[in-house]
Amino acid sequence: MSEEKLRVGIISCSGEEIPEGTISRLATRRVLELLRPDQTVTLCLPLFLAGGEQERDFARSHPTITVDGCDKRCAQAGTEKHSGPVSAALVVTEMLNGGYPDCARSSRQRGEVDREAVWVVAETIAATVDQLLAEGGGAQGRGAESDGCACSRPLPGGTVAINGEEVTIPGLQMIFGQLLETGVAPEPGNADRVLATVAIYYPVPEAEREAYREALLEAYKRHSAQAGV
Amino acid sequence: MDPAQKVLVIPCSGIGKVHGLISREATYLVTDELAPGQTETLCLALLVKGDEQALARVRSQPCITVDGCPKACAQKNVTLVRGESDGAFQVLQVLKQHRGVQPGSASSLNEAGWTVARELAELVRDKVAELAGCEVTS
Repeated sequence: MSEEKLRVGIISCSGEEIPEGTISRLATRRVLELLRPDQTVTLCLPLFLAGGEQERDFARSHPTITVDGCDKRCAQAGTEKHSGPVSAALVVTEMLNGGYPDCARSSRQRGEVDREAVWVVAETIAATVDQLLAEGGGAQGRGAESDGCACSRPLPGGTVAINGEEVTIPGLQMIFGQLLETGVAPEPGNADRVLATVAIYYPVPEAEREAYREALLEAYKRHSAQAGV
Repeated sequence: MDPAQKVLVIPCSGIGKVHGLISREATYLVTDELAPGQTETLCLALLVKGDEQALARVRSQPCITVDGCPKACAQKNVTLVRGESDGAFQVLQVLKQHRGVQPGSASSLNEAGWTVARELAELVRDKVAELAGCEVTS
């Protein structure tokens, strides 16, 4: 029998009519794939009406965060109507607070502003996940790993050697890509910045910070060289 | 159909697999590029919530659904509101003609994914033209 593990459910609005719906969807995917892959699961919101009891039981069996594009709060209202109370309700327009204008609905038109907006929202969702887990998950119960959407698997990791042992960090290449996009040069003066960024997404043991600092800088140099920077 | 009425194209936007993203992007190709004057989209979540304005639009306008998987969430949600939709498409209809391709991920489409999305969008555009009884204009 598999050991039960507390996971937070994240339900995004689909928000097809507005760019914030696309941001909500992409930020949710980022948390599932990269930021908190082992602590989160998701479910398609429309499944509450089209699916069965298992789907409708989702918010009762997981502490659940809804992520809505706008103040109509469809994900929150739909989840609470069909499944149960949510533990936290986030709204993209509130998280962005008037910033990041002119985002696009379709990924064909995505640019730097869209990418930044997705990061801001994803990091807020991840912080909320941490808060719920620290509080013990709220009123909801524990969901077994098999309860989750089979698609919520982590991104392939990048490997670094720490004190002679190989350590895999989920989504490391994506984190490095983000650092490159923001102009962080792969040089010793930025080693703390690289470590601090990775530490947002991966729990770096306090006793090994120096080893991680060096290993991550070397890995970032290799990544930058491969990217032609 | 009333030519002044726009056709609602409603994707499932499924968040778990690439198929949901293909349904979403195919919809934007129709509403933004292939038939912008004849079509518009609607947040499917509004139907799940039971929003009165959304329910009224679905009941009064022609509807085409675009689903990522056989669970057909978009089609089922629309059918619950108004009965059968005017057209129902699934990503797998097109994907099965491209056996073995990896169209991307739930977060982004690659070239093969965009090819599938565009072919699906063209099927939807043709259905819009059929409903309108004329050629659609981009």
